[in-house]
Parts: sequence; C-alpha cells; structure tokens
Amino acid sequence: MMADRKFRVKSVRLREADERRLISLSKRYSLSLNIEEMRRLQEYFKGIGREPTDVELQAMAQAWSEHCSYKSSKIYLKKYLGNLRTDYTILAMEDDAGVVEFDSDHAYVIKMESHNHPSAVEPYGGAATGVGGVIRDVLCMGAKPVALMDSLFFGKPDFEAGDRLSTRFLMRGIVGGIRDYGNRVGIPNVSGSVDFHESYNSNPLVNAGCLGIAKRSDIRRSFVTKPGTLLLLVGGRTGRDGIHGVTFASRSIKAGDKENARSVQLGNPIIKEPLIHAILEANDRGLILGMKDLGGGGLSSAVGEFCLGGGLGGEIDLTGVKLKEERMEPWEIWISESQERMLLGIDEKDLSALVSITDAWDVESSVIGRVVEGNNLKIEFEGKTVLDLDLNFMTSGPLYARHFLVPENVPRDLVLPREMKRYDDLILELAGSPAGCSRQRIVRQYDYTVMGSTYKAPLTGLPNIETHSDSAIVMPVSGSNKGICITSGSLPAHCAVDPYRGTLLALSEGFRNILCSGGDPHSLVDSLNFGDPEDPMVMGQFIESVRAIGDFCRKLGIPVVAGNVSFYNRSGGNNIAPTPTILIAGIINDAGNAIPNHFMEHGSIVVLAGRQTPGLCGSMLLDHVKKGCSSHPDVDLDELQKLRAAMLEAAENKLILSAHDVTQGGIVMSAMEMSLGRSVGVDIDLTDISSSRSLVKMFSESGNCILLEVREELLERLKSTFRDVQLTTIGRTGGKRIKFTDLSLLLADVDIEEARNRWDHGLDDLV
Amino acid sequence: MEGTNNEEETYIALRESGFSPEYVHVKQLENGTRKIKEFSLIFIPGGFSAGDYVRAGAIFSARLRKSSIGDFEEFSDLGKPIIGACNGFQVLAEMGMLPDADGKKSVDMTVSINESARFECRYIYLKVDANNPLMAGFQGRDIPWVAPVAHSEGRVIFSSDSLYEKMKKNGQVIFTYVDPEGKPGEYPWNPNGSRFSIAGISNRKGNVIGLMPHPERIYFPKLGIPAPGGDTFGNIFFRSLYEYTISSTEMSVSGVRSRVS
Repeated sequence: MMADRKFRVKSVRLREADERRLISLSKRYSLSLNIEEMRRLQEYFKGIGREPTDVELQAMAQAWSEHCSYKSSKIYLKKYLGNLRTDYTILAMEDDAGVVEFDSDHAYVIKMESHNHPSAVEPYGGAATGVGGVIRDVLCMGAKPVALMDSLFFGKPDFEAGDRLSTRFLMRGIVGGIRDYGNRVGIPNVSGSVDFHESYNSNPLVNAGCLGIAKRSDIRRSFVTKPGTLLLLVGGRTGRDGIHGVTFASRSIKAGDKENARSVQLGNPIIKEPLIHAILEANDRGLILGMKDLGGGGLSSAVGEFCLGGGLGGEIDLTGVKLKEERMEPWEIWISESQERMLLGIDEKDLSALVSITDAWDVESSVIGRVVEGNNLKIEFEGKTVLDLDLNFMTSGPLYARHFLVPENVPRDLVLPREMKRYDDLILELAGSPAGCSRQRIVRQYDYTVMGSTYKAPLTGLPNIETHSDSAIVMPVSGSNKGICITSGSLPAHCAVDPYRGTLLALSEGFRNILCSGGDPHSLVDSLNFGDPEDPMVMGQFIESVRAIGDFCRKLGIPVVAGNVSFYNRSGGNNIAPTPTILIAGIINDAGNAIPNHFMEHGSIVVLAGRQTPGLCGSMLLDHVKKGCSSHPDVDLDELQKLRAAMLEAAENKLILSAHDVTQGGIVMSAMEMSLGRSVGVDIDLTDISSSRSLVKMFSESGNCILLEVREELLERLKSTFRDVQLTTIGRTGGKRIKFTDLSLLLADVDIEEARNRWDHGLDDLV
Repeated sequence: MEGTNNEEETYIALRESGFSPEYVHVKQLENGTRKIKEFSLIFIPGGFSAGDYVRAGAIFSARLRKSSIGDFEEFSDLGKPIIGACNGFQVLAEMGMLPDADGKKSVDMTVSINESARFECRYIYLKVDANNPLMAGFQGRDIPWVAPVAHSEGRVIFSSDSLYEKMKKNGQVIFTYVDPEGKPGEYPWNPNGSRFSIAGISNRKGNVIGLMPHPERIYFPKLGIPAPGGDTFGNIFFRSLYEYTISSTEMSVSGVRSRVS
C-alpha cells in the first residue's frame, strides 16, 4: 500500500435517511437492494447505534443479493427438492458442488452454474470465467476436475438490432471464451447443448458444468470447525475486475449495460492450471482443513460462509491482500470477484509446508486472517476497523414467497401444418437449420480428448463423419473400467408452453441420453434460468419447473446433488423462456458395455422402444413452419422406469448395436443422425407406431422414445427384455439412403451424403 | 511448465509401456536441480505452454534453449530419443532440433496457424513410416491409424520445398495425414493444411521426433475407434519407443527413465 496516503474509514449516513435517500443510496453504491431491504438495514444500524461503513454496506448487499441468498427461490427449492438423497449421496446441496460415491475409494464431484449476465455484456470474458468458476467449485471440494460441459442458449440466429448485441457476435464471443479457457486449462469439454429461441435475443444463457474425481478421504468441506484456523488466500491477485457482479446479476439487463463490463471478471487459465496442481498437491498431503472458491461476492461471500458454516466468526486484515492495482479501497478488495482465487483454511503449523508448495508452482498466497470463536466478523484495513458485524445478521437475508401465477394452457393455433406429399426438402431444410444441424462447428473448437480419458466423445462415429453422442463417457480413474456418462441440456420451446411438462420432458431426455450410452442415471444437477421473479408469471413458471424436478427425481430415485438459480434473465422487456438446464451423471460399470449412437451394421432391425405421444407441441417442426401450439402432452414416468430396467439389461447382455433417443426433431432427425455416424442408411415404416397422421409420427418429440438397432437373430431376446414396454419394429438398416414410409406411401427418400452436407454446415455462418 | 497440460496422460502411457517416468519442471532445469542426462528418453508433452499467447511453444523453447540447449544436443547426439507431441513438437521446431535436414541447427520450419484459422479437435487417420527404428512396432502394419489432433497451430511449413525433398530422402517424414483409403488427403483429412500432409517428422538421425497428433490420448482404446488386433496408434507408438530405448541405451537399475516436463 502506498504510504503517502493515509487511509480513512468512510461511514455512510443511513440511520436518518428518508425513503428517497435510501433508494438513492442503493443506486449510488450499486447495491441492487429494494426499499424494504434498505429499511431493514437501516433498522439494524439504528439498533446498534452507529452508521455503517461503506465496506459494511457493500458486504450486506453481496450477502442479500438474489445471487447469494436465493431469496426468491429458497422456499421452493426446499419444498420440492429437499430430502432428495440416496444412500450413495455424500453431499447434496450443501457445499459448492455435489459429492457422490463412485466406487469404494472414490467420489465424483459435480456442479453446473449459470454465468448469464456477464456473458450478455462481455460474452468472451463472461463465458470464460463461467468455466473458471465452476472448475473452482469442483476443485474446492478437493477433487481433480476431469470434464467440462456447457449448455448454451442463444436468440434467433439472425437477430440483430441497433444497440443490442447480435446473436452472431454473442455466439462467437461465448464459444471463443469457453474454448480458450477450457483448452488452456487442459480439461476436456465433453458434453452440452446449443438451443436457439427468440426469448434469448441479446440475453444469452451460459450454463457451465464441471465433473471432478477425488479419493473419498480427500473430500474437503467449504468451512472449518476449529477456531484459530488460518485463512489463506491463494492464486491470482485481487483487482477491480468483477466488482458488483452479483448485484448486477440480481436485476434485469437494461440497454446501455455494456458499461457493466467492469462487473465481469477477467480470466487467466495460465494461473488456474498451476493453481489446480498446487491445491491438489497440498490437499493430497493433508495440509488443507477446508477450502472455498472465490466466486460471486468475492471474499465477502467466501469468508462469511466459510466461518459461519463451522459456527464460528472471523478476524480479517485486508492490508496484506496482494493486489493487481494500487490504491484499491477496502470495500473493493472485499467484494472484488477477480478470478483464480481460493480461500484455504489451514493449521498454523502447516503454513510453511503449504507456502513451499505454492512457491514451487509459482502461485501467490497471503494470510488474510483467522477463524475465531463466536459469530462476529471483524475486518481491519491499515490498522483501522472497517467492518464489525454479526455474521448471523449478515446472512439472514430476506426470504420471499413472491406472488405467482401458474400459467394455464391456452389453446391456440390448433391447426396442424398441412401434410405434404414428400418431405425430402423439409428434412434437408431441418438438417441444415441452426436448430437441427450438427454442433460440430462448435464442439470441434473445444478440446474433448485432452487427458486421454474420454472414452466416448461428444461426437461419435468414424473420423470426420461423426454424429452427436447422446452422452459422453469419461473414465476418471486410471486402470478402472468404470466410467461416468454425462449429458446436459434443456427444452426451452417445450417449457415455454408448459413449464411442468416441458421440464419433465427435458428430464426424460437427459435420462434417456444416459441410457442410450449404456449407463444408469445416477445423480442430477439443475441450473435454473428464469426471468424476473417479481413477475408472477415467471414465479409460477419457476415453481412449476422445480415441482417437476422434484416429482421426477422422487419417482426415479435420482438425487439432486447441486444446482443454481439465475433470475432476472430479461432483456428488451421480455423474460426468457423457462430454462431448467438438466445435467445428469450416469454410471457405467464396464465401459465395454457402452452403446454407440449411430447405426453400426447393414441389414439389422430398427425398433422403437416406448410409446410415442402424439402431439407436435414445442417441436422443431412447428418452430420451423412458425406455428404456435396448444397444450403439452403428459410424460409417463412409469414407462420411463420400465425403460430404464430394460435398457440396462439389454446393454449388459449386449443385445443392442446402437441406440438414440427421440426428442428434438422427432423420429426423422433421430434416424438421420444415426445414419450419419458411419454412413449406414435406413428404411423406416411408420405404419405400426400409431394411427396418428404421418406428420405427427415423423416429428412428434413427446414420449419416452428410443430408437434401437438390433441384429435380426437377437430380436426375440430383445422383445422379451422389453416385455413391459411398447416395442415396435419399424425398419431395417442398409444402403446409403434415409427413407420413411407410412401406409405404403413413400414420404421421404434422402441421400445420406446430401443430408450430411446440410447438417455439417448449418452453423458455419454463425460461429 | 505452466500451461503444459498433457503431462498426466503422457506419464500414464509411458508407465504402461514399461518406462519409469518422472515429471521434470522447466524450472528444475533452470536452477540445475535436475539434468536431462539422468534420463534415457525425453518427452515434451502438449498443452499451451505460457498460454501460447505469443507463438505456440515460443516461450517454452526459449527457456529450454537458454537453460539447457547444450544438454539437449548432447542427449540427441548420443542417439537417445527426444519426443515432442503437439506443443512439444512446436517447441522442438522452435529450438531448431527439427527438422535438422542439413545438419545445421537452424530454424527451417514453423508450425503455423491452421488453414481453417480455428482450433480443431478431431480424430484423423495417419500413416507411419516404420523404417524409423523408434517406430519399428508399426512394421508390417501399413494401414491408416486413427489418432486425435487438437490444436490451432499445427500447419507444418518449411523454408523451401527442396527441404522437404531432402527430408523425404533422409527418411525424416514419419507421420502423414491420409484419408480412410490411405492416400494423402485434403481437409478435413489433413486437419491443418500442412504442406505435403505432414503430421510428424524426425531429425536426420531419426531419434528426435515431433508430431501434432496425440499418441498419449489414444493409448487405451476408445468407443467406435477402430483398433485392429486390439492395438491403437498410441500403444504401438509407446511400446516401440520402449523397445528401442531398452535395446539401444544403457539401462539404469531402476529401469528406463524418461522425462516429462
């Protein structure tokens, strides 16, 4: 610190403030607190008989932000997702990431988090630090990060409007940010999704996920229980980047928010990579008692939760914090969200051992204080007290049971699109459309083979003609044949019609994605992205969506182990479509039983497992022909349960050559994708599926359907394995064309290579 | 060094093929706590050393050159293997260890930005010239092998085409991108636009090898990737290195040691 400037504590006149001044204080200090919350603060400081310091005011705003306190969502998360555990769950919804048993020695750690607001104003940096943040969430549990995933949601591909950022610009920035961060840190990016919907115009969503692996004895909590524990700040320096990130994320985006680029952190993967090594080495040697990453709210959130979690208080001195720039105010240091920083709790006697590890990796560290008895937090800066507050008060943010309206299904546009004589052109159009085309243009920019443990890549098939994987498989423990299947995604077009059933369908899709790789769904993480919670419609959507997750997980016995909520995703006066991103991890005991997602052989039989529910609601087809839709069909969870048992038995007995779920784009797109991976054609007869119209049978996305490829001689065994589920034989593989017939009428006959040409290049102009 | 990030899978592949690998950080060569002559093989793994914000491998190679270029040259002159994959290849080229077509240790090639101007992660087919004694395991298996590439700077360019002819004659062109039929192919079979579809080369002696594909990532089989006879490009690559190393160098008591930095 510069010696030529004497530091003076700044107090803020709050106690006598009237309503107008309270509101203007909230604005002036970028607190994002509303009038009731400001009054509550005022009452508290009246009660203790002094004015708050600027540091205290800023610290309170962090703690009470939507981002940190979950004030609008907590009640419902507890109501619907509480007590969703299984006997193999180690930590669910407690610390920074979920911890689940992998084998007798290892646990996997999993987390997904949104980074929407930063990515909307500074797409490259926002997305990159989203990846960095979720890596730290996993690392701070003591786990080695082994895989990344990201679900991205963009506005209409051609969206461009005056002062708002175009979809193209946002896409390039966001994909570039994820690419440059993930590739440099050297963690494979194995799974994810990309969706387009007009409600994301200039308000894109970036949901970044990370999977880690640890010896069970190496798992660390995000708090310590021993008074006297030293608090060590390790990693990057603290700067003015990322100030007010969480309070910014706790309101809607407005025009002119480009200035909020200051609230976006700057990432540096080349600090992160040695930081990971140093932390894992120190943890391996038993030097770390507890740790927590510094994300939203910076030191303010991390230190508060770290002390309070163990029922203790803290004494902090900010003077020694290593800074990127001089003359930072203590409140800036306290809430800066600068990246690549971790808070460690260590025993004083281990300090020199720890510092020698961080030195060896060229990672900086500084002691910033210690955990003490009681529940008071005291912060000093240059010898003066700048914060002295009761931690219980700080974290006793308001809880809201906001007004909500459960949207009713209003039937509209009941008229289905006209049947066509032939669908060849439509199929090719869909294949080349941003909604339906290959994600390879994005996926190939991410390194998905680094670490050498990606057994099933996000693109699967023969080199350069690959198709999409339903779920990737990583082998996190060297020498073991046991793998983890990973999938993440959402169905915003379905959730926009019916948040409850749409969420159920998104869950069913993720669940089937795991089954289609030969895995058993094991745990779930949700990243819940919604609009403005002060709008009762949005609150209703949120509650319905969370209720669906609760119902689904209870029925299928899947624990929800981690998650996050992002509200205020609203831009240009429009709330986004409800977007519950579902990340599912599955276990495959023997990767030798993994199932490919593309046709493997010529002359095998194609069957449809599961009952197709007629209805085009939320479908790619309706969006393509610009039609709305009415009510959304139910999702049959009993059937899904039976499908799970049958798929697992079939995988174990190697009855299935390949499998692929039927969701976006219906049977048509699923069959086409299966043909692409090895250029094996298919001839499908839709007649026996149902008595619905051909158009519906081709493009319906509803139901728990899976397409299976089976050798003819194994068909009877497959039928007996699937005895509890509807199984319809619908075709045969072979040749180089993709054909669909219904009631003896040829509906489509498309050349594989022509389809591939469209499908491969659908995003070329965008990213 | 910082940003190097393929060291773990390289370590595992070396260990599984018989070596007793050890990690060495570039700092340890700089401060003299480790010497490369302790080892029988050096492997410079891939990654983004120093972030690759300048030119890929430029800073890593500058640090190695400053601290231990003499040691590297001596190591190479003894016929001991030095292998660089991806960023490691870029480092060897920047150090002037490759291509070494004229016996001059000059920088005659660059590994430049991909023709597509993008980072490309994909599986490719490649052919191996098994006349190189380090790659003898590929003898009699002249088929397109599948290996992953993942880089944005992998396009091999020489200072002149005559250099390529000379290298070809010297048997230095070891790895070539091919199409599924085994013929040199255009993009995407050649993922970066390398001249003459070059995926990897050796020095004149054959014991310094650099390649863009990642043998360490395909040591173990992957779903859907052809593995004729249960073998992958990666496990033949590393087993060949091991066979060569034990037959041509003195063995230390602890077995063959290799270095990973």
